[in-house]
Amino acid sequence: MEKSLAELNKAGSRSMSSLQPEPVDIMHSKTCFRRVRLNVGGLPHEVLWRTLDRLPRTRLGKLRDCNTHESLMEVCDDYSLEENEYFFDRHPGAFTSILNFYRTGKLHMMEEMCALSFSQELDYWGIDEIYLESCCQARYHQKKEQMNEELKREADNLKDRDGDEFDNTCCAEKRKKLWDLLEKPGSSVAAKILAIISILFIVLSTIALSLNTLPELQDTDEFGQSTDNPQLAHVEAVCIAWFTMEYLLRFLSSPNKWKFFKGPLNVIDLLAILPYYVTIFLTESNKSVLQFQNVRRVVQIFRIMRILRILKLARHSTGLQSLGFTLKRSYNELGLLILFLAMGIMIFSSLVFFAEKDEEDTKFKSIPASFWWATITMTTVGYGDIYPKTLLGKIVGGLCCIAGVLVIALPIPIIVNNFSEFYKEQKRQEKAVKRREALDRAKRNGSIVSMNLKEAFARSAELMDVVVEKGERPHDNNLSPSRWKWTAKGATSETSSNRSFNAQELGSQDKGDDSPQRLNVQKLEEMYNQMAKTQSQPNLNAKDRGNRVNKQRDEIELGAIEDHRPPVLGPREGVGDMKSLSSFDSYISCATDFQENPRFLHSPAMDLGLQEGNRLSHSPATALSHRSSAKTGQQTSRECQPMLTPVSVTKPSYSDNARKFFFSGNSKSLIPKGGCRSDGESGVSPLSDSSVLSDHSLLSPEVSIYTTASSRTPPKSPESTTLAPTVFTFHDSSISKYIDADTDDDEHLRDISDASPSDCLLAGTSPKRSININYQRGTNHLEVAQKMLGQNCLFPLDGIRGVAHENHVGHEMAHRPKVERGRQNTLDKSL
Amino acid sequence: MWTTPKPNYRRGFCAEGEIAVNIGGVRVVLFGDVLNRYPESRLAELVKCPTQNHEVVSSLCDDFDPSRKEFYFDRDPDAFKCIIDVYYFDEIHIKNGICPICFIKELEFWKIDKSVLDECCKSYLSEKEEELTEISNKVKVILEDMEVDQCFTRAQRCQRYLWRLMEKPGSSLAARVIAIASFLSILVSAVVMCVGTIPELQVTDSEGKLVEHPILEGIETVCMLWFTAEYLLRLASSPNKLNFAFSFMNVIDFMAIIPFYVVLSLTHLGTSSMMELGNVQQAVQALRIMRIARIFKLARHSSGLQTLTHALKRSLKELGLLLMYMSVGIFVFSALAYTMEQSHPETLFKSIPQSFWWAIITMTTVGYGDIYPKTTLGKCNAAVSFLCGVIAIALPIHPIINNFVVFYNKQKVLETAAKHEVELMELKSGREARRETRANRET
Repeated sequence: MEKSLAELNKAGSRSMSSLQPEPVDIMHSKTCFRRVRLNVGGLPHEVLWRTLDRLPRTRLGKLRDCNTHESLMEVCDDYSLEENEYFFDRHPGAFTSILNFYRTGKLHMMEEMCALSFSQELDYWGIDEIYLESCCQARYHQKKEQMNEELKREADNLKDRDGDEFDNTCCAEKRKKLWDLLEKPGSSVAAKILAIISILFIVLSTIALSLNTLPELQDTDEFGQSTDNPQLAHVEAVCIAWFTMEYLLRFLSSPNKWKFFKGPLNVIDLLAILPYYVTIFLTESNKSVLQFQNVRRVVQIFRIMRILRILKLARHSTGLQSLGFTLKRSYNELGLLILFLAMGIMIFSSLVFFAEKDEEDTKFKSIPASFWWATITMTTVGYGDIYPKTLLGKIVGGLCCIAGVLVIALPIPIIVNNFSEFYKEQKRQEKAVKRREALDRAKRNGSIVSMNLKEAFARSAELMDVVVEKGERPHDNNLSPSRWKWTAKGATSETSSNRSFNAQELGSQDKGDDSPQRLNVQKLEEMYNQMAKTQSQPNLNAKDRGNRVNKQRDEIELGAIEDHRPPVLGPREGVGDMKSLSSFDSYISCATDFQENPRFLHSPAMDLGLQEGNRLSHSPATALSHRSSAKTGQQTSRECQPMLTPVSVTKPSYSDNARKFFFSGNSKSLIPKGGCRSDGESGVSPLSDSSVLSDHSLLSPEVSIYTTASSRTPPKSPESTTLAPTVFTFHDSSISKYIDADTDDDEHLRDISDASPSDCLLAGTSPKRSININYQRGTNHLEVAQKMLGQNCLFPLDGIRGVAHENHVGHEMAHRPKVERGRQNTLDKSL
Repeated sequence: MWTTPKPNYRRGFCAEGEIAVNIGGVRVVLFGDVLNRYPESRLAELVKCPTQNHEVVSSLCDDFDPSRKEFYFDRDPDAFKCIIDVYYFDEIHIKNGICPICFIKELEFWKIDKSVLDECCKSYLSEKEEELTEISNKVKVILEDMEVDQCFTRAQRCQRYLWRLMEKPGSSLAARVIAIASFLSILVSAVVMCVGTIPELQVTDSEGKLVEHPILEGIETVCMLWFTAEYLLRLASSPNKLNFAFSFMNVIDFMAIIPFYVVLSLTHLGTSSMMELGNVQQAVQALRIMRIARIFKLARHSSGLQTLTHALKRSLKELGLLLMYMSVGIFVFSALAYTMEQSHPETLFKSIPQSFWWAIITMTTVGYGDIYPKTTLGKCNAAVSFLCGVIAIALPIHPIINNFVVFYNKQKVLETAAKHEVELMELKSGREARRETRANRET
C-alpha cells in the first residue's frame, strides 16, 4: 500500500511538473533503461523491455512503441519517466500470470481466478485466450462456457420479461394487470389466491378422474356399458370450465400470442382441456352410432389424455420445472442409461433363452419373450412370473441382477448432478428476478438515476457544503465521542448512543430548518417536514433525561421480548436490494472518477491512503442518494419516515460488520445532515444493502434480513429507545458469522487499523474485544465520515479548506483513545 | 534449521557474503552460505562467480546493476518465493494458484532438482502431467487425421483413403454414411436374431424341426456379408495389421462374424460327410450363442459405452470386491436360511447350493418369489440378508460409479482441450508461415 501511495504521489508530481513530456524525453528514458517497472493495481513488477518485445501487438508490447504523451496515456493509465514506471489500473492477480506469459511463453491461469474476469483481463492486455496452456485451458473453457451459458440464460430471462410489452394494443393497462394476475403469482395477493385456486382445481379434477373408474361409483348407460357418475361428471365439467377460462384469459392477455401458444406449459394446458371437448364432440355427433367400437376406443383414448392435467402442476412448482429441464439437458446421459439397459437386456435375455429353452414347460419361449424377464430382473423389480429354473439359467440370472444394479447406477449421478446444478441455478434466478423487479420499481420511482459523475460530484459538493456549515461542528466535537462509546459496550453504551442522537437531533433541528431551502429542492423540503415530525420523538427522549436510568433497564427487557418477534420482511427488502445495485455501481464509477481526477491526489486526504480513497469515493454516492431522494419526493420520504428514528443509525453499526466503508457512506449521509436526514435515509438502506450485494456469496442471508428487520422495527415501537436493545442482540448472534464469512473485510480491517493505532491495540487485547472493535470501527467511520463530508465538499473548493479537514481528521484521531478510556465521562459530555 | 536467516525483502545494500537479487521487481537479499547448500543451483553459481566478469554474470542473470550490486532476473517472483524455501527447509511446496507445469519450468531455470518437491505437490504434478500426456495423445490422433497425405504411391493413398473412410466417421460424408449403415446393420441383425427365436415365426423343415424363417435367414446373411466386408476392408486398409487384429474392437468384430461361417461350414460338412448329426447340431447351438457378441459392436459407435468399458477396466478391484462381498453374503445367508428352514415340513430350501439362488435373488432385492422362507426365523434371516445385500452392493459400487463419472467428465474436458490445442497449433503455424513470407518479401 505504501508503494502504491508513493506511486500515486509520484504520478501526481509528474502531472504537476511536466504536464506533457516531450517525445524525446520518452524516447530517452526508454533507451537508457534496460528494464521497466510496471505498476499494476499497486503491485510493482520489473521486467526487461526485451521481454515485452516478444509480443509486440499486445498492450505491453505497444508500450514500447509509444513515443508521445497521448499514445502513452492511451496504453497505460499513468506513468512516471523519472522512475521509469508505468501504472495500469487493473487487477494485479491476473497480471502475474500474464507477465509470465511474456517471460516463459506459457500462459497459465491462476487457479482461483474467475474465468470470466480472466478473459476480461486477457482482452485488456490484448492477449488471445487461445494461448492458454492446455492444462489450464480445459478448466478455463469449461468455466467460461458454463458462465456464458448462465449469462445467456439470464439474458433470455431478462428478454422474456422485457418482452412483456403492452403498448400497441387496446386496453394495454388492463391486459397487463390481467397478465400479472394470472402469470405472476408473486405479484399480488389476488394472484397468489388465484394460483392456489388453480392448484386446488387441478387436484380436485385428478381425484375425480380416478374416482370415476371405481366400479361402485359408475352408472350404466342404455347400452349396458358403464359411464361416468353424474356427480363426478359435474365436478369434471366445473374443473374444465375453470381451466378453459384460465387458458382463454391468459391467451387474451398475453403480449405475444404466438409465443404464448408455443410455450410448453401452455401446450400442456391445452392438452389438458382439449380431450374433454373432443370427447363431448365425438359422443354428441355419434350418439346414434356410439355402439361402434371404433368411436368408443377413440373416446377412451381421449379420456386417458385427461390425466395430462396433472402436468399442469408444473406451472406452480419450480421443482417440477427443473426436473423437466434437467431431463431435457441430460438427454445424453438418459440415452446412455437406456442404451446400457437395452444392451444388458439383449445380452441377458438371449443368454437365458439359450440356457432355458430345452426345459420342459419353460416360459422363455423366445428371446423377445425373455426381454420382460431381463427387464424385471435388471431393474431388480422381480415379479416372479418368469424365473429361470436350470442351473445355467440361474447363474445368468444372478449375473443379470448384479449387472443391472451396476448399469443403472452408473449414469444416474451425472443426471443427479445436472439436476442439482439446475435447481440451484433456478433458486438463484428466482432471487435475481425478485431483485430485478425491485430494481425496476425503484427505477420507475426515480430513486435510481444513471448518473453523470461530474455532475453528481458537483452536486454532492454543493449539498455537503450546506451540511458542513450547518451541522458539522456540533457533531464532531460533542457527539461523535459518545457514539463511539456506545458501540463499544452493552447497555450503557446504548443509552449513550441514544442520547447522543437525541442531542444531535436537537442540535440539528433548529439549524436544519433552513437547510432545505438552501438546497433549493422543494421535495426535499417536504420530506424534511415529515422528518421533523418523526424527529420530535427522539427529542422527547432527550428531554426526559432524568428518567434515563430507569428507562434503560426497561429497554433491555423490552429488547429481549422484541428479539423474538419475527422480523417483518416484505417488498421492502427487495427494494433495498436493488437500490444497493445502483449504489454499488455508483460507488464503482465514483472510484474511477477519483482515479481520473488528478486533483485529488494532492489533497491531504491522500495521507490516509487507501481508506481515504474509499471515503472519497463515498461522496458521490451520497450525492446520489441526495439527488435520488429529492427526485423520489413524496414516495420515498414516506417510506423513509419510519426509519428516521435513531435506530436507523444503529442499524448501520452492525451491518457495518459486513462491510466497513460503505457504511461510512451511510452514516455520513445520515449524521451531519441533521435536518436533511430524510433524504439521507434513502441513501442508507441502499448503501448498507450494497454490501450484501457486493459480497453476496460470502454473507449469510441473515445479513439482509437483519438490516431489513431493523429498518422495519422502528415504526413498531412507540419509543425509539426501546429498539436499541433489539438491535444489540442481533450483534451477538450474527457477529461471529460476519467475521467468519468476510475475508474481504479482514483486509479492510487491516487498513483501518493502520489508520487508527488505538484500534490495533484493541484488536490485540482479546478475541472478544475484536467484536467490539468492529463496532468501534464502524463508529470510527461514522465520525470519519463526518469529517470526510467536510473534505468532500472542499475538494472542488481547493486548498484553503483542505487544511480544515486535516484538522478535523487530526482532531478525530486524538479523540478516539480518549473516548475509549473514559467511556463514562463521554456519556456526561455528550449530554 | 530455525536459526537460519530468512531472506530479506527489504531494500538496502547487502553486506559481505550476501547477494541482492531482483526477481521481476521483487528485491531479495540472500545469504551466500545458505545458497551454497545447493551448489548446482543458479543462485549458488551467482554467489561464486566474480562480479567483474560480465560474461559469466550475464549468462547467469538477465541484468546486473553494478552500483547496487543487484542481479536482475526476468522471472516470476511468486514462484521464486516458493523456490527459495528449498535453501531453508530442503523441500518445496507449490503455492496454491501456480500451475505445476509452470512451476517445474521455474525450477529448471533456477537449476534445482525436481526431487525436492514435497510428496503432496508431486502427486498434484503427476496428475497434471498425466492429463497433459493424454491431451497430447488426443492431439496426435487428431493431427494424424488431418495430416495431408504424404504417401507417394497410389496404393498407399488408396489405403489411407479407405482407412479414413472406415475408421473416421467425422472425416467425410461418405464415411459418415458408412458408419450409419454399419450401425443400422448391427441393430437389424440383433433384432433378427431375437425375432428368429419366436416360435410363431419359425417354419418346420423337412425333418419336422423348427428352423428360422427363410426371410430372416436371408437378412441375417446379408448383414453377415456386410460385417465381413467391413472387417476385411478395415483389415486391408489398416497401417499395422497385427495391431489391428488384436485390438479390442476388432476382436469383437471377428467374434461376431466367425460363428456364422463356422455354422455354415459345419452344416455343409455335416450333410456331406459322415460326421454325426447330433454333434453338429450341438456345436451349431453353441455357436449361435456367440452371435450375441455382435451387440458389443455397438461400442464402436458410442463413446458412452467406451467410457463404460474403460471405467470397468479401471475399477476391476472394486468389481472384485463387489463379487467377494456378494459371494460371502450368499454363502452365509443361504446356509443360515437352509438350517433355519429345516424345521418346516414343506420347505423350499432343499440344499445349500439350491438356496444360493434364493440368496442372490434376495440380496439383490429382486425377489422372484419362487423360493421363500416359511418359518419365522427364516423370515428374519431373509430381512437381514436383504439389508446386508443392499449394503454389500452399495459400498463397492460407489467407487465404480465415481470412476465412471470422473472418466465421463474427463472425456469431455479432454475433447475441448485437444480441440483448442489443435487450434493453437494452427495459429502458431499460420503465424510462422506469415513470418516466413514476410522474411521472404524483405529479402
